[in-house]
Amino acid sequence: MSINVKLDDMLHSRRMTLTDLSEEIGLTLANLSILKTGKARAIRFSTLEAICAALDCQPGDLLEFNPAQRGETDINELEKPV
Amino acid sequence: MPKSYPETLVLTRRVLAGLIALNVLVGLFIFALLIATIVAADPVMNALGLKGAISYMGIRAVMVMGILGVLITHVVLTGLRAIVETVKHGTPFVAENAARLQTMGWAVLGLEAVHIAIVLIANAISSQQLPINVKLELSLTRLLVVLLLFVLAGVFEQGSRMREDLEGTV
Repeated sequence: MSINVKLDDMLHSRRMTLTDLSEEIGLTLANLSILKTGKARAIRFSTLEAICAALDCQPGDLLEFNPAQRGETDINELEKPV
Repeated sequence: MPKSYPETLVLTRRVLAGLIALNVLVGLFIFALLIATIVAADPVMNALGLKGAISYMGIRAVMVMGILGVLITHVVLTGLRAIVETVKHGTPFVAENAARLQTMGWAVLGLEAVHIAIVLIANAISSQQLPINVKLELSLTRLLVVLLLFVLAGVFEQGSRMREDLEGTV
């Protein structure tokens, strides 16, 4: 997956823990973990909005596109048809 | 966390458990009868009032078909029970259920074939002492059930893919 989620960096610079964020935006710790570790397949705009509001940042601060990682498939994606 | 488990499904589970048990009993009974007609053909046929009136092989063939029918019915009932279990656990849209539904579709079709075979054998062994004339009727309802099962298999396959997609969405 060539989209990286820089949640760790943002949390660090805002001096927040994942638990704090989870309580603030009402997303479960499990789901935030999925996002943080790059296991998420998709993110809702509503989730993105909530995170940006809580961390006072822009989507671009959270998401990064790395063309070099393109084509690297997550093992879970292998059987899934496009 | 499991979603609400409708009362109809609680009832279905109980009915299925009863039907599975009943089906097994019927199967065992026919099997016992079949063995009896082999090891003690004349006494058994006498007791059934069929001695000399009808082909023993024919009767045995019908019993074998009956056992086959019981086995196929077991596949359908246990498949349905497994699907109901997944609903109870809140994860019905899985690839396994799509496979189960397809198996059940073929099984019901097989049941139709068994039904036809029994009718043909019964008519074939008809004799003067015991005339049998069963009409061969193709049940539209049963064929509709077969179609429904195959369609549902496709639906569940789609559903399982959609669920997989959704699981990775935050």
